[in-house]
Amino acid sequence: MNKRGGVAAALVAIAAAVLASTAGAGSTAADRLQAVDCSGTIKLPLLTPLTGGGGPIGNEQLSWAKYAAKTLGPKLKLKIQIVGGDTPVEKGPGEAQKVAQKFISDSQVAAVLGPATSGGVASASKSLAKAGLLHISPSATDSALAAGPKGKRTASPVAFFRVVGGDYVQGPTDANYMVSKLKAKKVVIVDFQEPYSVGLANAAQAVLKAKGVDVTRLSTSVDTTDYSSLVTKVPNDANVVFFPTQQPEDAQTFGEQLLEQGKRATMFGADGTNNPAAFKLAGSYVSNFAPDISGIPGNAARIAGWKKDNPKASLGSFGPPTYLATQVEMMAIAKACKAGGGSIKNRATVLKYVRGIVVPNSILGGTFRFSKSNNEPVNPKFYIFQIQKNGTYKLVN
Amino acid sequence: MDTFTQLTLNGLTLGSGYALIALGYSLVYGILKLLNFAHGDVVTVGAFIGFGMLHVLGGSTDPVVPVWLLLVLITTTAMAGCAALGVAIERFAYRPLRDAPRIAPLISALGVSFFLAYSLQLLFGSEQRDYDAFSMADGALFFKGFSIGAVHIPLLRIVIIVSAFALMVVLWFLVNKTRTGKAMKATSFDREAAAMMGIDVDRVIVFAFVLGSALAGAAGVFTALRVPTYPSAGFVVGLKGFTAAVIGGIGSVPGAMAGGLILGLAEAYTQGYVSTKWSDLAVFVILILFMLFRPQGLFGRPDIAKV
Repeated sequence: MNKRGGVAAALVAIAAAVLASTAGAGSTAADRLQAVDCSGTIKLPLLTPLTGGGGPIGNEQLSWAKYAAKTLGPKLKLKIQIVGGDTPVEKGPGEAQKVAQKFISDSQVAAVLGPATSGGVASASKSLAKAGLLHISPSATDSALAAGPKGKRTASPVAFFRVVGGDYVQGPTDANYMVSKLKAKKVVIVDFQEPYSVGLANAAQAVLKAKGVDVTRLSTSVDTTDYSSLVTKVPNDANVVFFPTQQPEDAQTFGEQLLEQGKRATMFGADGTNNPAAFKLAGSYVSNFAPDISGIPGNAARIAGWKKDNPKASLGSFGPPTYLATQVEMMAIAKACKAGGGSIKNRATVLKYVRGIVVPNSILGGTFRFSKSNNEPVNPKFYIFQIQKNGTYKLVN
Repeated sequence: MDTFTQLTLNGLTLGSGYALIALGYSLVYGILKLLNFAHGDVVTVGAFIGFGMLHVLGGSTDPVVPVWLLLVLITTTAMAGCAALGVAIERFAYRPLRDAPRIAPLISALGVSFFLAYSLQLLFGSEQRDYDAFSMADGALFFKGFSIGAVHIPLLRIVIIVSAFALMVVLWFLVNKTRTGKAMKATSFDREAAAMMGIDVDRVIVFAFVLGSALAGAAGVFTALRVPTYPSAGFVVGLKGFTAAVIGGIGSVPGAMAGGLILGLAEAYTQGYVSTKWSDLAVFVILILFMLFRPQGLFGRPDIAKV
């Protein structure tokens, strides 16, 4: 063997040794990573848009998650730190996957809140599930993410749960309201070519068509800001424009441009447009997975406490489900800690306990529990609000 | 026919904004042969300056001055602010690299672009911001105007299109009929010879940045009056403005105007007659076709190398 051949052989041997040691270290590191000490601080990251168009919604969710951790932690003997993971809508669904990777490698993370958007769940759920991380979304509604109405599990692995219903509930609820209350004969549906929007648009369209409504489907990208030419395509005699977007400012712009072009169709947004600060076109409608929680018995103290921590914030519909998701995760973590004698041996243990969690007098009203057949809440509902002249949302259904 | 009229109106509104932005690219490229990639972000800064001025003047629902004056003030403030920003960018990011290889100022331009976008995000957050022109004077800007057939031409669009064209005419006059404009043309033709003829080249370059950035400020306000804006919005509008400049013939003032309008109309017609999904594709296909078959653009001169 000449000198050059010897060097090459040595390099190959070193590389093989490094690979072998890395593989061994990998499995050890994974085990070490999954052991969570319950006496220390446990992190719950919230993957949600904290900046960008969805920023106000994400920050509302973050404030409620922090409030839940602060108030429920002592009762459950847990020290929980809520960590924000920013996934701006404008950066696309893939951002959730990147942010999730950071939390997967953090040994203090026992479970994840979110991702908040359906696209985010679709992109990050597989990695989170592989790491054994329970992730409960407070707002992702795409039907395909968890399980459809017949209890059949679809796209996502078992680690994903949500505390709100899917679009298989929202789409029909919205469509039925358009037909029965708004007497719609011609509806235009605009989708944004991303999982949340397309899924919800499809769910509503199926019901509308089944009821004999004339449906026109339009499609655009999430980057669109000027809708003039899309509005031009809305027929003059359309009764309703269904606009499932995650950027409420866009619903406002679309509504204004409808009026600018003399079109009288009623704007109908969904949970993604449920933001009184941004979508305030009087007479329009929005749906949401949470009711106005202020009327639910037992919530007065919770709302007062949250307002004390967030004096400038106003009560919205996205925060309370986040409080509930945080509560469910904390209860599952507490059970896993108890079973593990003060530590969670493996992150997947938290998953084992989550299905059995029951929350009496939940912030969304009544008793909360997951269905036995899938990862959805039992009897999910959607609520419809009408935007008033002063910009407030009034519950109408 | 009504659809065509409406789409033409949409295209003219969009295109007048693109034309204002394209003019900034053309002015700077004409003189420095520099692609000022920060120009789109100057447009966004203009929109934010206008937003700040709107708040100083009481906001859209309850302004302390009449609406026409409000619009004039937010536009002129944005133009002045962006002009000052343009001077600063030229002085600190481009002038030190004027004699460096051409890649250096290009990289500097990208750096300035990121600096501006992320500074806005740091200062104001990345939420979308809306001028809420719909609430100004109880919606008069949207509901007043005139009609062509069944198509309503709202006051706001009239204001935007007329103002943009007025600014383009002023620019054309400045470039073609004033001594400074002639100095700009001379500098564009041959910078060294212009300097030898006694033209203060530095002053001319600064003037080009002042004009281009002021137009960007106006474009920022005109855009934000109709649609929400956010700190990173400059990237896409900058790209469209640059495309318009290339189509018209980069370095040519009338070319930038024509390129902007062609781009706006192409976008609107594609959205209206084909699909919204295809509008950006159509825009960039036009760009590629020009690059292949008429790289000098509509009004540009072909580069002829002396051998």
